[in-house]
Amino acid sequence: MRVLLECKKVKRTGFLPAYFIGGILAAAFPIVIMSVRSEMYQAQQGSPVEILLGANWQMMAMLNILLVVTGACLLYQTEYADNAMQKMKSLPIKESSVFLGKVILTVIMSLVVLTIEAGAITFCSCRWFEVRDVFFTELCKNFGYAFLLMLPCIILSLLISEACENMWISLGIGVVCVFTATMLPTERFLFSLFPFAAPFQVLAGTNPTQVMHYICAAAAELIGLGMAELIFLKIRRYFA
Amino acid sequence: MSFFSLLGVEFKKIKRSKILWILLAATVILWLPSIFNVHLNFEMQTEGISPENNFFIQGFLGMSWFMFPASMVVGTVLLSQTERMDSGILKMLALPVSTVKLCLSKFVVLLSIAAVQIFMMTGMYYISAAVCSRTQNYNFILPPLFAAKETGMIFLSAVPMIAFFWMLSVCIRTPIFSIGIGLASIVPSVLVINTKIWFAYPMSYPFFVITSEYGKLAANPDTAQVELIPWIPVALTIVIVCLAVSCICFGQAERR
Repeated sequence: MRVLLECKKVKRTGFLPAYFIGGILAAAFPIVIMSVRSEMYQAQQGSPVEILLGANWQMMAMLNILLVVTGACLLYQTEYADNAMQKMKSLPIKESSVFLGKVILTVIMSLVVLTIEAGAITFCSCRWFEVRDVFFTELCKNFGYAFLLMLPCIILSLLISEACENMWISLGIGVVCVFTATMLPTERFLFSLFPFAAPFQVLAGTNPTQVMHYICAAAAELIGLGMAELIFLKIRRYFA
Repeated sequence: MSFFSLLGVEFKKIKRSKILWILLAATVILWLPSIFNVHLNFEMQTEGISPENNFFIQGFLGMSWFMFPASMVVGTVLLSQTERMDSGILKMLALPVSTVKLCLSKFVVLLSIAAVQIFMMTGMYYISAAVCSRTQNYNFILPPLFAAKETGMIFLSAVPMIAFFWMLSVCIRTPIFSIGIGLASIVPSVLVINTKIWFAYPMSYPFFVITSEYGKLAANPDTAQVELIPWIPVALTIVIVCLAVSCICFGQAERR
């Protein structure tokens, strides 16, 4: 119900088409790269998913994160413009449930984006590599992992845009965070847990214990950010 | 109203926007890893680049590939949203001011934001170079003239890119598309600088310029050098076309 309401709100903002276009753009990366330099990648050792994600995931993840950050800014900009937020607050709805609605909407759209990207990886694998039975399980595992690591990033960027009334400030903070993520040394485990840096991780080729660490860390981040959201709303209400 | 007083008004509008804090945060975050990893600069001798040059170039490479273009996108959002909030633009259009002047003055404000960021960047460079010189007992500080030349080149090469972003924010009314296209167009610039048609892609200019400087300092013949002939005319055309289109489109939707 609440998600439908959120859908209605974003109807004319171009939010949904932006996610589709973003997904297609990110999906175009592996296809373009493979059609230009297929020999180089065909010669590499490893499964097709591992090779393709190794070559393209940095770019694709970057586009995904930028999409999430921009989308989050927009979702709250429509609330703060013309004081719609005050009207929402006067309704018998919890502010946190508005936030939850936006999170669910972004999560659904990110799933769509990841599905488009998975489609592109499947296409490239069928076209340029030999596809075996295990391919689809591997693909699903990889994109499931990518999806899980994206969740903290979604919640944090929505939290930032909720906190800042002006769109450029939330966008600016988001961009600085994305930039910080690209600057952090990825080999340090603690740094790579930064919600904007984690989505750059790839499952294929990472050792299983480390994968478990990332999954646990992402779950902990989700709980932490959820609590942070509730506390933030309490504090803001107290001072408002 | 003269152009300069209009410019003054535009600066007044963004006075309380806190954009400078965002730019400052970005530059501080950029230089911190360089200070912590300063010893890595001594391992670059195989490339033929001296540690102090490497320190300078690595920092500016980091800035020009993502942070600087992305900050410019944020700047365009700032300029367009401050006007659209509470229909400020309608009041501006009701004044006896030419829209072309208004549009250009906003563009100049955007250019000044770019200049401020590069200036902050250079300032932070000197601070971090001084810190590193103290910790490593090695002089990392480059002559100001050299730094001024390099940063000036980055700024000039960024003008077409900024004009393009400005056109996007003026012509595309839905913010998610203007921001989305702007940010998404930055990502492939890493790929574009390795192709022969880099000069057709304004978002890659600053990164290309600094990469070719790196090649020069490292005496690396593989790095592509700046060829002025197709580049300058193309860049000028891009600036003129983008500015013309944005001047024509400016305020069009509000005047309907």
